[in-house]
Amino acid sequence: MKALVVGGGLGGLLTAARLVKEGHRVEIFERLPVIGGRFINLDYKGYQLTTGALHMIPHGSKGPLATMLRQLDADVKIIDSSPLSVLRIPENGGFKDISFYDFSSPLSWVNRLKLFYLTFKSRFVKPADGSFKDWFYPFINDTWLVKLADAFCGWSLSMRSEDVAAAEMLAIINNMRRYGGPGVPAGGCSAVINALEKIILSGGGPIHTGCQVDRILIVDGRAVGVEADGNTILGDVVISDIGHRETVQLYDHPASDTFREYMVAMESIRPSAGIKICLGADRPLIGHSGVLFTPYARRINGINEVTNIDPSLAPPGKHLVMSHQALQSDDILAEIELGLKDLEDIFENEQYEVLMVQTYSDSWPVNRAESGSNLDNTTPIIGLYIVGDGAKGKGGIEVEGVALGVDNTLKLLNI
Amino acid sequence: MRISTDCVGCGQCVVCCPSEAISVCGRAVIGDDCTQCGVCIPYCPLGAIREDET
Repeated sequence: MKALVVGGGLGGLLTAARLVKEGHRVEIFERLPVIGGRFINLDYKGYQLTTGALHMIPHGSKGPLATMLRQLDADVKIIDSSPLSVLRIPENGGFKDISFYDFSSPLSWVNRLKLFYLTFKSRFVKPADGSFKDWFYPFINDTWLVKLADAFCGWSLSMRSEDVAAAEMLAIINNMRRYGGPGVPAGGCSAVINALEKIILSGGGPIHTGCQVDRILIVDGRAVGVEADGNTILGDVVISDIGHRETVQLYDHPASDTFREYMVAMESIRPSAGIKICLGADRPLIGHSGVLFTPYARRINGINEVTNIDPSLAPPGKHLVMSHQALQSDDILAEIELGLKDLEDIFENEQYEVLMVQTYSDSWPVNRAESGSNLDNTTPIIGLYIVGDGAKGKGGIEVEGVALGVDNTLKLLNI
Repeated sequence: MRISTDCVGCGQCVVCCPSEAISVCGRAVIGDDCTQCGVCIPYCPLGAIREDET
């Protein structure tokens, strides 16, 4: 089988690497001069910033992405964060940090009991349609829990708890129990991409960069090839890593009811937006490799300091600190200002340099489909599949969702 | 070079600019140090950087 892969982001490369390992032929077309999409390092002033992700793999060395990389014999090492994560809460005009496992300690004992009951019940009873906040707030009317849920949803999904579907969030919580907390690939995001590139090239590749696919060719309802830079390339399947919405613009639409239904379903896809602020510091601002959740901050949801795991991600002796906040209004400059003020409060009396403020929204978002709004990996066109952050698997945070989606696509291809 | 409203402010162009002429905060801004070399154009994931109209 020959697969044509449109877009060389993590989803496209993972799929291609899996196919190559199974002895199939692949050809990858990437529009930009570099592969890896929103999962590569950006070398800036000696710091390894990124094109998107915060150098973290949500479920570390035991999650779906790490498992897939292991199956591929990918030459990358994922180091788990320790502690998993910490919650920073105000106390006596300052802050104190508590372990993530003690997240319920600020709750009254009655609310703790209610939370236990609610969580226990969710194992047997499917939640009603509605948001994660709708799931707990009418029952446990506590603002701490809302702030905590918003910090977690903001950090991991770039969403608010009132916007994430309860079923999706409970699937995510189950995956946290099953796979554990985050980790960092040694060398950062690019280490994963480089390892995948090596596998694909060893299988013959090719990977074309700076090469845009202008059309996906459809014959009798089946994807048979692509047109890229004026050339026609034929294949047995087309795997698109650019999302459902962008893919559908590349081919002639069939006049079928199934296709019309697909177009309607696509309207439910919403991209998620967020702001990442990258700081450089002479001494550690956090001091550990876990996520620092900041539920009481105005905008910042969480912060990490990956140089505690891999010092090579910053110049010698320096630290790289990255914060993330879900975008809460259209006034991006005001949102950035609030984020920067939060960081001043959180790191009061500390010295740091703001290296870069990076924003992700619209057509270059945090996720092409926010969690819970994903369509599956199929399309009404036979032999055309969608992978990447526009078609994540259920309960999969960010790149874990990408890996689950790729896994599902390969099952659909009987691989 | 000029930046269209398609720019979301991801900062990818800042890093590839050999003249360090681009800064980003919500959107990218090209400063006076720009030499019109055009290196940044293909790096923009949104195709938001265009050459100045002459």
